[in-house]
Amino acid sequence: MSADSTSTTAPEGRAAADGASLPGGNAIVFDHVSMTFPDGTEGLSDVNLAIAPGEFVSIVGPSGCGKSTLLKVASGLVTHTGGKVWVDRDQLGYTFQDATLLPWRKVQDNVELLMELRDFPAEERRRIAAEKIELVGLKGFENHYPQRLSGGMKMRVSLARSLALNPAVFMFDEPFGALDEITRERLNDEVIDLFVREGFTGIFVTHSIPEAVYMSSKVVVMSRRPGRIQDIFEVPFAYPRAPEMRYQADFSELCGEISLSLRKAIEG
Amino acid sequence: MSDTQIPADTGKHRRANIESHEATPVAPPPSVTRRLVTNLVPPILAGILVILAYAWVRSGLPPHRQFLMPSGTGIWELAFGIPDFVLELLRRSVTTMAIAVTGLGLSISFGCVMGIVMFRFLFLEKAIFPYLVVLQSVPVLAIVPLIQSALGFGFMPKVLIVALFTFFAVPTTLLLGLKSVDRNILNLFKLQNASWWVTLRKACLPFAGPTLFAGFSISGSLAVIAAITSELFFLSGEGGLGQLLMNAKIDFKYEQMYAALIMASVLSIAVYLFFKWLGNRLFSHWHEASGKQQ
Ligand SMILES: Nc1ncnc2c1ncn2[C@@H]1O[C@H](COP(=O)(O)OP(=O)(O)OP(=O)(O)O)[C@@H](O)[C@H]1O
Ligand SMILES: [Mg+2]
Repeated sequence: MSADSTSTTAPEGRAAADGASLPGGNAIVFDHVSMTFPDGTEGLSDVNLAIAPGEFVSIVGPSGCGKSTLLKVASGLVTHTGGKVWVDRDQLGYTFQDATLLPWRKVQDNVELLMELRDFPAEERRRIAAEKIELVGLKGFENHYPQRLSGGMKMRVSLARSLALNPAVFMFDEPFGALDEITRERLNDEVIDLFVREGFTGIFVTHSIPEAVYMSSKVVVMSRRPGRIQDIFEVPFAYPRAPEMRYQADFSELCGEISLSLRKAIEG
Repeated sequence: MSDTQIPADTGKHRRANIESHEATPVAPPPSVTRRLVTNLVPPILAGILVILAYAWVRSGLPPHRQFLMPSGTGIWELAFGIPDFVLELLRRSVTTMAIAVTGLGLSISFGCVMGIVMFRFLFLEKAIFPYLVVLQSVPVLAIVPLIQSALGFGFMPKVLIVALFTFFAVPTTLLLGLKSVDRNILNLFKLQNASWWVTLRKACLPFAGPTLFAGFSISGSLAVIAAITSELFFLSGEGGLGQLLMNAKIDFKYEQMYAALIMASVLSIAVYLFFKWLGNRLFSHWHEASGKQQ
């Protein structure tokens, strides 16, 4: 894999790596996907969702409805038990709820990890890692151990680590849930910046409706377990987005609608 | 300073609880001497107490039984003060340490392999683990006669006894450490299609390191004791400290017996401290519990 770092602007996104196209030119397609765990728990039932390249889709839903399961199915961490999933997993980014850094590696070596697993040459690894560390605003912290970083800084390292592989599809599983509001909003902006600059396709799981609306081009509401898609909301605002957007009337209105839908989802 | 007024104490039921709180300036890092004092004074005080207690018990013994607790001067005059004896003590320590270290080496190498194998194959864990517990619960001393019959009276049977004493902690702590790696860190490796071997090397083994070293210290401090115990059963030939203990009893040289006991503790502690030091060196920069204790 050559890691070409040229990127198009967000709305167009990047084409699938080898030109092999997915159904309808989409980046990710769930087609009647269901997932039943070995113990009989139904995690997902009949999920249908198509995500176009360069879209940023947030997923909200009641706790335990299967949002993480959806990402795990899409990334191949677990295998679904029914239906079909199309996704190009070759350049996949994935951040978890916590930063999942290796505590014995310095920031620099943590960011190099995935490239190491992909057998990038050492020289290239160092160069790309330095670039991504700068991108997430951690220049100067290369030689720190994670133990000495704040929660927000750890999350940035985690982002840099995924970005190093130049992901075409980037999945976020509640990455900022544990952070304070201000740090969270700043990281939201950073992710949008990255999204606009790198042009990946994003799926973002969150519990915060304003966060979902602020970041996404589409917000998906999932129903109670076993999760299915209940509603899809288009977000009409253009990228890049300004923090003031959060205080606009149409922003609040959309949040309200999604909130109502989520309430319905929880009540079943 | 602010010029907020401190309200007067008005009500009967309300006690004013307003004080000015002084700031504490940033504490300078403790100096070397201070660290030495905080680390050395408590054990030295405790040691003095033990010696006083010893002297007190000894003074209560009837004179014909005082040989059981030799005096400090006696231990010096009849043991540590005699160069020939000190040489013998050192020579025997080397013999005992050779047994201890070989046995421990066997435990560590086989134990690590077994830990990794159990981690790799769940069915092997299920198969082996119960027998590890069984092995641990067999009184090793009770099977010494069996070992003698099988292996004779040389070096190897003693090594085997040390290995039996020290084995258990190694595979169990390693397995525990390997299994406690964060699920999502494993997922991270899985997403890159990392092989089991790469995941083991880059994620699981480093993660298990501190736990494993805790196991090593436990085994290590048992090893010297185990070596001396094993010698008690094998008195032929040039032996180590265990043999010295028995000889001292037979020859009624209790001062030498105490000297051997002191030497044995020193060796045990040295092995324990070695692993602790090594663990610190390897892990303290990222693992909090391995860091220097305050
Ligand atoms: N390995 C498993 N075996 C059995 N059931 C599971 C397993 N993993 C998850 N589940 C169940 O599947 C359901 C969906 O789990 P999932 O983690 O996807 O929820 P979620 O929507 O991400 O919740 P949250 O918002 O709290 O993170 C839950 O009810 C959970 O109990
Ligand atoms: Mg989840």
